[in-house]
Amino acid sequence: MANDKRIGGALAAAACGLLGAAAPVRSPAAEPASKATDDSWDVDTAFLYYGESDGRVQDASLNAIAVRDFGDEHKLSLDLGIDTLTGASPSGAIAADRPQTFTSPSGRGTYTAKAGEVPLDDSFHDTRFALNAAWSQPFARLYSFNAGLGVSSEYDYQHIGANLGLTRDFNQRNTTLALALAYGQDQVKPVGGLPVPFSAMGDVVGEDSSPDNRSGKTDDKNVLDVLLGVTQVLGRHTLLRLNYSYSDSSGYLTDPYKVLSVVDPVSGEPLARTPPPGAQGPGGVYLFEHRPDSRKKQSVYGELRQDFAGKVLSLGYRYSTDDWEVDSHTLEGRFRFPVGESSYLEPHLRYYTQTAADFYRYSLADGASMPEFASADARLADLDAYTVGVKYARQTTAGNEWSARLELYHQTSKAPANTLIGEQPGNVHMPDFDAVILQFGYHFSL
Amino acid sequence: MGSPCEVLVDSPHEQPAQAVASAVAACAWRIEEKFSRYRGDSVVSRINRSGGEAVEVDEETAKLLDFADHAWRISDGKFDITSGVLRRAWKFDGGTRVPAAEEVQALLPLVGWSRANWHRPLLTLQPGMEIDFGGIGKEYAVDLALAAAADITDAPVLVNFGGDLAATGPQRDRRAWRVGVEGISGASIPRTLELTGGALATSGDTYRFITESGTRRPHILDPRSGEPVRGAPRSITVAAANCVEAGLWCTLAMLEGAGAEAFLEREGVRHWIQRK
Repeated sequence: MANDKRIGGALAAAACGLLGAAAPVRSPAAEPASKATDDSWDVDTAFLYYGESDGRVQDASLNAIAVRDFGDEHKLSLDLGIDTLTGASPSGAIAADRPQTFTSPSGRGTYTAKAGEVPLDDSFHDTRFALNAAWSQPFARLYSFNAGLGVSSEYDYQHIGANLGLTRDFNQRNTTLALALAYGQDQVKPVGGLPVPFSAMGDVVGEDSSPDNRSGKTDDKNVLDVLLGVTQVLGRHTLLRLNYSYSDSSGYLTDPYKVLSVVDPVSGEPLARTPPPGAQGPGGVYLFEHRPDSRKKQSVYGELRQDFAGKVLSLGYRYSTDDWEVDSHTLEGRFRFPVGESSYLEPHLRYYTQTAADFYRYSLADGASMPEFASADARLADLDAYTVGVKYARQTTAGNEWSARLELYHQTSKAPANTLIGEQPGNVHMPDFDAVILQFGYHFSL
Repeated sequence: MGSPCEVLVDSPHEQPAQAVASAVAACAWRIEEKFSRYRGDSVVSRINRSGGEAVEVDEETAKLLDFADHAWRISDGKFDITSGVLRRAWKFDGGTRVPAAEEVQALLPLVGWSRANWHRPLLTLQPGMEIDFGGIGKEYAVDLALAAAADITDAPVLVNFGGDLAATGPQRDRRAWRVGVEGISGASIPRTLELTGGALATSGDTYRFITESGTRRPHILDPRSGEPVRGAPRSITVAAANCVEAGLWCTLAMLEGAGAEAFLEREGVRHWIQRK
């Protein structure tokens, strides 16, 4: 070809002659962009409302996750969350056949439970901020890694954490092995200070002083999580995931706001107490709980995902056991199916059951020797819970997606018979509850 | 096609996607069976076995031969569907064997479209000559398959036969298809391109090359000298309205050797070249 001769026209004409009717490809003038990156952020936003029955805990949260792909699977993700918690939560004290008065955690006021009512501490409100940043990218041919940092803050709790993950593909990328490590360092700073374990709830103190049964203002908690996982493609429509995880928590694991009722060893009724003249204070004897300063937990998880021509069924099972003797089983199923052009529905069922922690007590008997550890937190009792829900998502013509999710949660807890005292069997009031979860999400690109 | 073939359909519905997949697969198999030089019953094999006799070809084959004829003229004889015979001397298997000059010289009389006699619908080759549709056939199949898909559905479709690909338009959410370019790590071109329509073709030595005195030579041979083209890039990717055109630009640029970039710049063709 001579340097000054241009052949573009002749070449296009030759191609047109060959392709004939097949030539009018939809957008023949289009050319690829040279951009190596997807120049945008993928953003998932969600508003979530969680409300427990009987005016107990209510939580409203806003969450935004933004992911940016810098090309070749180099991804940055930023996750920002704000949530506000209000309402009352069980203090651990049991119901009595008379009204009961308690000193609030700050030591500066009181709250009361009616006769026959499970005592709820209504001084409970909090706002939490959380920020996480993570980076992931492939390295070498079949490896990829991810690393992240996160902080969260609320008025009585600070968290800072880091995580690192590594995956390796095998078997023509049909098998993926994953190893993940996470380490978190938390600081607990309870309102009114750290209660001395098993010390009795004191009387109300003045505005400028603190309760005298406190052992300091802050304590620490460290959590190490290790996860080993394998994901296996079992055919064109089937995926199996198996995980083993180990979690080691140490430090301050006690709930500083939870107490145990001291009861009459014969009747099982809470002891009555009269505050000194001129003082306001508890009308019973309530001891602050005390948990071990270490918890080691192991769990295995299996999930099978099956695609039936566009309908996706996923079934999961988790078994978890720890050295607090809390053993749990979780069964979960989801079924996603398309509805119309660009929507899908996804019903969701979940069942959870656990055994009580070995130091769980419904109450403590007056005069009996003190156990090494004890907690009356219903979340550490025998517990069953189920969730029934459905999610609906719809894709807009612009490629964005909005979704709505409604879930109903029911939880029953039961004090093991051997933790009941005197005439308590047959007269146990455990704080069962229902909750509703409502979430609206919107996914878009910036 | 000697390489993985795929079709992507951006549709929430399974039925049209299945229909497109079947049509594209049928198209790929048909072109493969009809034009592969490795299949004894193909049109190409029939021509290559003709031993100097005239062969009457069907309309589709005639169009491909017309296209090859145009390309040969446009390129002043550098693009030549009869140059495949030279492969008997040059084995592009990554080895180091360089054929003796006599070996190559002995094959040259069998190379050259000017020695063929093409009068629609009759093609006559000199005895021992061969043709192949390398650099045309796969690209042609991509364009045909995409047209077949567009007849079935309005949903965005991308057809990719071993790295030569074409799309009907952007994806449903108006975003570009992201296309990875098989390349050499550390190369200066982006490894991911965005395609909103039209076609991309890639030619290069990612898989086939010969090593001579430590220098990798791509599998492009100059039919006039019988020698591999000197200074040819490691790979060339070109964007054009259709895949046939993109593929031909790649081959012609490769034949320019060291002048590949200048050639494509001058022609105003969108391209990405890797040299290292």
